[in-house]
Amino acid sequence: MNPETILAKIQGDLAACIQDAALVAPRRIQLKARPEQLTAVLARLKETFGIAHLGTISGVDLGENFEVIYHLSNADVTVSVRILTPRRDPRIPSVCPVIPGAILYERELQDMFGLVVENIPDPRPMLLCDDWPEGQFPLRKDWKFERPAEIIPGGK
Amino acid sequence: MIERLVHWSRVKSPWVLHLNAGGGCNGCDIEILAALMPRFDLERFGVQLKGTPRHADVMICTGAITLQNRDRVLRVYEQVPEPKFGVAAGACARAGCVYRGSYHTLVGIDQLLPVNAYVPGCPFRPAALIDAVVKLLNSVK
Amino acid sequence: MEYKVSLGPQHPALHEAISLRMTLDGEVIRDADLKLGYSHRGIEKLAEERSYIQNIYLTERICGICSHSHTTCFTQGVEQLMELVPARRGLYIRTLIAELERVHSHLLWLGVAGQESGFESFFMYTWRDREVVLDILEWISGNRVHYAMNTFGGVRRDVDELQKKKILDSLGLLKKRTDYYLNLAASEPTFVGRLAGVGKLSRQQAIDLCAVGPTLRASGVPMDVRKDDPYAVYDEIPFEVSTADSCDVLGRAVVRVKELIQSYHIIEYILNNLPAGPFKVKAPRKVKPNEVYSRYEAPRGENVHYIRSNGSEKPERLKVRAPTLANYPATIAMLKNGFIADIPLIFAAIDPCICCAERLVQLDDVRGGGRVLRFSELRAMANERAKKIDYTKKDIAWPF
Ligand code: SF4
Repeated sequence: MNPETILAKIQGDLAACIQDAALVAPRRIQLKARPEQLTAVLARLKETFGIAHLGTISGVDLGENFEVIYHLSNADVTVSVRILTPRRDPRIPSVCPVIPGAILYERELQDMFGLVVENIPDPRPMLLCDDWPEGQFPLRKDWKFERPAEIIPGGK
Repeated sequence: MIERLVHWSRVKSPWVLHLNAGGGCNGCDIEILAALMPRFDLERFGVQLKGTPRHADVMICTGAITLQNRDRVLRVYEQVPEPKFGVAAGACARAGCVYRGSYHTLVGIDQLLPVNAYVPGCPFRPAALIDAVVKLLNSVK
Repeated sequence: MEYKVSLGPQHPALHEAISLRMTLDGEVIRDADLKLGYSHRGIEKLAEERSYIQNIYLTERICGICSHSHTTCFTQGVEQLMELVPARRGLYIRTLIAELERVHSHLLWLGVAGQESGFESFFMYTWRDREVVLDILEWISGNRVHYAMNTFGGVRRDVDELQKKKILDSLGLLKKRTDYYLNLAASEPTFVGRLAGVGKLSRQQAIDLCAVGPTLRASGVPMDVRKDDPYAVYDEIPFEVSTADSCDVLGRAVVRVKELIQSYHIIEYILNNLPAGPFKVKAPRKVKPNEVYSRYEAPRGENVHYIRSNGSEKPERLKVRAPTLANYPATIAMLKNGFIADIPLIFAAIDPCICCAERLVQLDDVRGGGRVLRFSELRAMANERAKKIDYTKKDIAWPF
């Protein structure tokens, strides 16, 4: 199938749960979904179109909101499904029931952005060191790092 | 007498431990291995790579130390029997390389451990490592 | 008796210093778990503080073995953001370096696989031949590991006639050696017997767990970004996607050897069809606000960069997903119900990085009396097991 037909089919098939479907670049489709419907959309994409390979999940800090983008692909196209979640109460559903391979990316989101992934099978921290202070999320834009003073060996 | 024998064997055949401190690309580690392979053959100086710190005389560190790895690097260093020599290999181990300013790495091994020799380069050439080892051995003699 | 092994925590590459914790029942692994973060360097945060051109050098240092993969992935993404069409000769040279890198990485992996299966001289042989590739790379780019070839709009150094000839000469040598390895492996029942049937990953599992690269292709899924989503000049170059359907470590070895041969063909094709003209074009400094999802087939599998620009000289967000990370969930599945002696092989089969192979394995001192194993002992156990294999079994065959 070529990307245009896939796009048309997605628009017809999933009209109820998505907004703004568009072909933004060759072989790149972008969709918007609401967080509640995310799992339904992904399950649909997987069953009907075989778009089941989750490349990665990227989080972006937009200030008021966090944007979370799920990049899925099959042999023909790459579909990016994006959802927004408010900064005050950042919650996203876990997609592990549909795509088991998503677990590491979801844990990464929890560590780096402080999102709460609901019903995640394995919520332990993954990337940051064991004594990392609570409530510090390095990839948020308002998080700044102060480098501690250096010790110069043999220096004064 | 025994002491002289030990010293002689230490200079003639230093056993090294290669430790990746975490925060680096593994370019330097590959070059260390390449230095031990037939082309460069560090083993002709009696240098042998060991898997455990307890057998080692020289500890070659590559990569900047990540916070998560900090205590583990120290623990490995403590396990190396005295007298021990630290070598900081590569720009990361010397001063943090491109990761300077990151929230999860320390700038350079020498913030944590005493270092006897620095090998410059990102990554160093295997020849530079051989040079460092030879110089280190000469200074021990 | 159940006891726990922890393997690691040394393993380089992106966030990939790793510690595996396994629950064992006798010799059989019942459960495996990962602890990452030992080598987390905060690259994504650093990238937000640097300009695009500085970021090329940062992404290069994500991984030392596939340094060209990450820069290419990043550069081609940013080129799309800049709406810049790179020079065609530049793209060809970029692809040439990429394939040379694939050759050196696969040779390295073959050596490691040889070592982990107790075939030490194979290790030395392949690493010696790897030096040939590194010499070529050094001749073109001036460096053995970080080639620093990519720049926006093309590459930074040209390939001249003399270099072309030398590469073709060395390629002849490499081809001969690879054939020799093929024969060696085909007539070496210990090697085949050790690898066959180890680390099973079924087709469905591989798809569900989003495995990538040779790990996925060895489970019979012909996914290769070079074919599915061609970048650079791969849509003009004839080559085949290598797959195997034995779903085990042997299959992964087969896929890699086949890819080596394909890579030689690609390199020859590129050198014979190198277009004339400039090798780079001038790039703008600023980038319009936009976003791009860039995919690249690194030696270890699909490499992904997501780049978002905000109109300034620095990226708003750079998200990197290195192939090894994607293969971790699959590794856990492979380890389950395997033998402890197979850990090095299985772990090496996804081709993480070699330095992990030199690291300690320690059994955590848990209640119930743990003991400490070193990697060398573990490897000795692995070799021990290799000796016990019954090579007269009928279903073991080298698939060439
Ligand atoms: S010095 Fe360079 S090559 Fe060595 S680990 Fe650091 S970044 Fe990699």
